[in-house]
Amino acid sequence: MSARGGLLRWVAVPLLVVPVTWLLFTGLGRDPRDIPSPLVGKPLPAFAATTLEGEEFSSQALAGRPALINVWASWCDPCIDEHPLLLAAARAYAGELSVIGIVHHDSADGARGFLARYGDGGWPDLLDPSDRIAIDLGVIFPPETYFVDASGIVRYRHLGPLTEEVLAQQLAALGLDR
Amino acid sequence: MRSLALTVAAAALLALAAVAALQLVVPRAPPSAAEQARAIAAELRCPDCQALSVAESRTAAAAAIRAEIAEQLAAGRSANEIRQHFVARYGDWILLTPTDPLAWWLPPVALFAGAALFGWWWIRGRRSSVAAPARPVSDADRRRVRDAAEALDD
Amino acid sequence: MIATLGHVAVVVGLAATLFAAAAFALAARDDDRGQAALGRRAMIAAFGLAALACVAMVTLLLTHDFSVRYVARNNATTTPPFYSVISLWAALEGSILFWTLLATGWAALVLHRYRDRAPTLMPWVGVTLALVAAFFFAVMAWPGDPFVRITPVGAEGNGPNALLQNHPFMGLHPPLLYLGYTGLAVPFAFGVAALVTRRTDEAWLGIVRRWTLVPWIFLTAGIVAGAWWSYAVLGWGGYWAWDPVENAALLPWLTATAFIHSSMVAERRGTLRVWAHALVIATFVLTLVGTFLTRSGIVQSVHSFTASAIGPWFAVAIVATLTVALGLLVWRMPDLRDTRPPGGTVSREGAFLFNNVLFLGLTFAVLFGTLYPLIVDVTSGQRISVGAPWFNRVNAPIFVALLFLMGVGPALPWGGARWSTIRERFLVPALVGAGLVVGGWAIGLREMAPLVMLGLAAFVVTAMGDEVVRGARARARSRGENPPTAAWRLATRNRRRYGGYLVHTGVCVMAVAVAVSATLASDVTATVSPGESVSLGAYTVSYDSLVIERLPEDPRVTETRAELTLSGPQSGRLAPALRDYPNSTTPIATPTVRTAIGEDLYVTLLAYDPADRSVTLHLFVNPLVVWIWVGGAIVALGAAFAVWPEPRRRPLPAEAVA
Repeated sequence: MSARGGLLRWVAVPLLVVPVTWLLFTGLGRDPRDIPSPLVGKPLPAFAATTLEGEEFSSQALAGRPALINVWASWCDPCIDEHPLLLAAARAYAGELSVIGIVHHDSADGARGFLARYGDGGWPDLLDPSDRIAIDLGVIFPPETYFVDASGIVRYRHLGPLTEEVLAQQLAALGLDR
Repeated sequence: MRSLALTVAAAALLALAAVAALQLVVPRAPPSAAEQARAIAAELRCPDCQALSVAESRTAAAAAIRAEIAEQLAAGRSANEIRQHFVARYGDWILLTPTDPLAWWLPPVALFAGAALFGWWWIRGRRSSVAAPARPVSDADRRRVRDAAEALDD
Repeated sequence: MIATLGHVAVVVGLAATLFAAAAFALAARDDDRGQAALGRRAMIAAFGLAALACVAMVTLLLTHDFSVRYVARNNATTTPPFYSVISLWAALEGSILFWTLLATGWAALVLHRYRDRAPTLMPWVGVTLALVAAFFFAVMAWPGDPFVRITPVGAEGNGPNALLQNHPFMGLHPPLLYLGYTGLAVPFAFGVAALVTRRTDEAWLGIVRRWTLVPWIFLTAGIVAGAWWSYAVLGWGGYWAWDPVENAALLPWLTATAFIHSSMVAERRGTLRVWAHALVIATFVLTLVGTFLTRSGIVQSVHSFTASAIGPWFAVAIVATLTVALGLLVWRMPDLRDTRPPGGTVSREGAFLFNNVLFLGLTFAVLFGTLYPLIVDVTSGQRISVGAPWFNRVNAPIFVALLFLMGVGPALPWGGARWSTIRERFLVPALVGAGLVVGGWAIGLREMAPLVMLGLAAFVVTAMGDEVVRGARARARSRGENPPTAAWRLATRNRRRYGGYLVHTGVCVMAVAVAVSATLASDVTATVSPGESVSLGAYTVSYDSLVIERLPEDPRVTETRAELTLSGPQSGRLAPALRDYPNSTTPIATPTVRTAIGEDLYVTLLAYDPADRSVTLHLFVNPLVVWIWVGGAIVALGAAFAVWPEPRRRPLPAEAVA
């Protein structure tokens, strides 16, 4: 066999091994559950619904101020973990930040029970029985939080329970400082 | 006997061709709204399941999306528009099949390329065979060997 | 105490396998039988140590020792003993322990069986198997220690994952699958040994045939059992979702099947030898990739556990194995040229070649579909999905082609076929196939998939039947036996061929069953109050009452049952349920399945309202589903028949005198 043919076949080894290595190792750094929202950079879709108190609420009310929209449910355990952070943020930025909740796949009684147990921050919690808002926001699974700036553009969508760092980071990005 | 066999074969092939033609060419009834909705739902991923489509899943989220699909169809939107409606809200991730044409033509191309590669290697192997036949083998030899082999173990 | 014992067993096991690898390497270099015997004993000791560690873990689970993290996470005081035992393989660290047990078991078995045979190959087989086992011991010794303790010790554990304690098949599916996975290291080891020692003639293939088929049987049974389990448990009425972990089990099965076929050609015709080696390497690497995909968190899946530290270890192992094995193959490629010229293209070799092309096409498609979301994410940051519709559309034509080949291949002679032979052999099967398609269409079957599958299956079965009948007749004529006896004698003296026929028959049964159940199923969802009923096809299900109670065998679990009465082609009482497990936020569906020869009636309880006692039920009529499981059993039986030791002794291929 010619020397050229003899050496050529060795190309097969790096040809196969290098892409496999790259794929495996870069893949390890990714979290497959981190799905980016197509709403980021776009205006918040308009919505209107009834709150737990029975009042009508429209997303128009959020205009002019940064807003935090938290999607939650009473059966959602991680929602319990993030609730104190939301309460603290709502208190700290009262007047500067609008906080609203969207109750996802839950009954009004269940939601009220959650608030009674873990604290009612006083912000409007919207009922979404037909998933109208959930679909328009592209909600995958609670808890999810949307950060909207003062001009109504969605800046970030966080999947899973909020953490101190994410909250601080995103609120700072909205122009609110501690 | 031979002509009977040929007639039967011809009849079977004709019947098969007729069936194929009827299946493919004769227009079927246009799909009902329910069928259309189901077809679209089968291409969307259920957001709170692992790998199921909206058509298969029975979670509340899937039911809501199915209702939305029905509403959109009633409003006169096309299947494509409805898919885009959901992509605009959930991202490309909501589609169970990738829109990228690469994902569709790469496997068949790879298959054909593989077949071509194998074929080339096969033909090259035949040309540069290591052992050449010693003397021509007659048809009678072949028949004898084949009969003997068939009667014996594999 | 027991946990420490288990951990010590693991560490000593690691030492034993490393020692074995060294002993075998020395045995290979010096051609020293004594060293080889030492290595063999070390591997047997490693198996004993793995068994000890498993017994330790099972004891910890049965005694609910929550000082051990694995037990605290996967067991509770109320877990029934059966589920405690099978929790050994329920989660990450335990399943690696179980894997190690099986891997060392296979290694000990093959090294012991071949202690006096194939002396050139066996030391290198030993090195390979010892290193593989050492890797798994090392993973348990460092990142994935099953015996790691936690403090403070809780009074109660988390309990097994709710989905995994719902059905006794949890005791069947993983062991079968793992026996398959771990067993496929053996042909790989022989392949490596053959390359290293340059004994790449037919000898290693003859030896490896059994050691490939037996794990293949387990892998097939494991995959089918997994499909059956997911059908019976998950409640969506389906059995295969092209989930990444399902694909992970399928990939090595595809390459193993391709290997079985190409090794037949390589053994008998001296061609396709490079491919046989490449396939056996690919099979083993894919078993590692499969474990990696399942355990690393790299793809989202039904089986996905949170990303663990084990991922990088597996990634390194995969890359290292691929590099070494591929390097070996490329180095020895000049040794692997065809020893005989391949025959005509329309020949059995040609059919086998085409079979390999198709299987590799399938493997590529499934691998691509599973990894594409990852590739896209890593290159562009976008998230996309590749789901069942893509897999079905891309794979269907390949399956159809394979089914056709299954009928054509075995009937083609080696070396080449003339047109007259082809016409003679395939006319009747083609007619029968065409006849069934036309007949099916005539009775109202309009779906493409079942029609095509029916025709192809008929073609294949007729072609095979034709071969069997002709062979039996020839033998009956020449030996004076009656045809059935002749057929049986022929079968038992040609186990490989007739076992293959049986396997192919099983595949045909599964193909038709899958095509029919996938396209002709019907379903309905309805919300009913007590006393109301819902109908689907000829069945009527009436809702009697809602029962909410704790499970007697596990009082932490609350079961909500809808008591139903079924009437129609099947009748009786049904009780689909939803179970609330303490460690799961969503209730787990327990569907009821009533199986008959022709169809399954499948009922899931979707939701209930405790206030007005109304329930939402989802009913399915799934035709021919039971034939998928039956077909799978026929495949396993056929392969077992093929691999069964022959009554008459065959001389083993003689090892060339060194």
